[in-house]
Amino acid sequence: MKILEAQSAVLTNIEVYKFLNDQAKQYHDQKRRGPANLETLRKEMLQYFESHPNPLSQKPLPYDTSAIPKLIQRLRPYEISKGELAMIINMRPTSVANLNAVLEDMEERFGEDQQQEIVDIVIEVLGQFPPPAEEEDQGDAMQTTEE
Amino acid sequence: MFILTKIADLVQITPSQFDQQSHIAIENNINAKYSNRVIQKIGLCICMYDLLWASEGLIGHGTGLVNVNVEFRMIVFRPFKGETLFGKISGATQEGLSIHTKFFDDIFVSYKELPENTEYDHNEKAWVWVVDEERMHYDKNEMVRFQVIDETWRDQIPDSAEEEALDKAKKLSPYSISGTMMKEGLGICLWWDES
Repeated sequence: MKILEAQSAVLTNIEVYKFLNDQAKQYHDQKRRGPANLETLRKEMLQYFESHPNPLSQKPLPYDTSAIPKLIQRLRPYEISKGELAMIINMRPTSVANLNAVLEDMEERFGEDQQQEIVDIVIEVLGQFPPPAEEEDQGDAMQTTEE
Repeated sequence: MFILTKIADLVQITPSQFDQQSHIAIENNINAKYSNRVIQKIGLCICMYDLLWASEGLIGHGTGLVNVNVEFRMIVFRPFKGETLFGKISGATQEGLSIHTKFFDDIFVSYKELPENTEYDHNEKAWVWVVDEERMHYDKNEMVRFQVIDETWRDQIPDSAEEEALDKAKKLSPYSISGTMMKEGLGICLWWDES
């Protein structure tokens, strides 16, 4: 084994989630199974992504990979780093407290109005969980997606 | 949280796999070797992302194995330092909290990285954050947000071929992550999401 390039790209959770789901479907259609270590790992990863409050646990999926360039474009004026953008896509902060968890020195870099603007853009592009009253329906929808 | 790593390797296809199409046999061999395994200083391998190149197959002398040189990209779990991710509490000791992500278990948050006024409850074996007289528990199986502050790599090469040394090497976790919850928005998800 030889490592040719340690890191040739960064993938967001939605990209990995989509890849693994597509793979599971493809294997199923071709009536084949991957090696046992992969089958177990894939199952565990899909379970992880579909655990609340991970945004990918929301069904139907609140956003797909086409949301990534859109979000980057909308957040351009705020000078958010690439790593922070990846976290915003993965964690989907829909409140200022949750935004603080993914931005470095948020309070020094952004005023209160700006913090709220960023949260509003995240909600607009990536969606948010419906209010708690509807939560039970969401729970049932989640169950049916698991094998 | 995930990266793509470009790798070159030799794949050996056994005669029992000759009924499979070549690209499937190659993919299965790569995943059987790498999936759910740690490469030192790279991360936890998930699965092959795409096959970039493959040589002609060459049959080995006396073995019947078909040798193929390949280059491929691997999806790898490798959160960067400073990255915030979701996890679940798997246990607590006086030293701190153990966290897992379902597919990766070796995450630890030291008590020094929990917010001020957090204490260990010996009876309940749980850490408790005391805020204005209210006692908020870091309960087992709760979902949390934590931030990666460091990573540790341990090669599992045993000191000798003796069974004891082999067992000892196997117990070492090849890749472990230390995290922090000392920032507003980190810690139990429910604390921040109920609003």
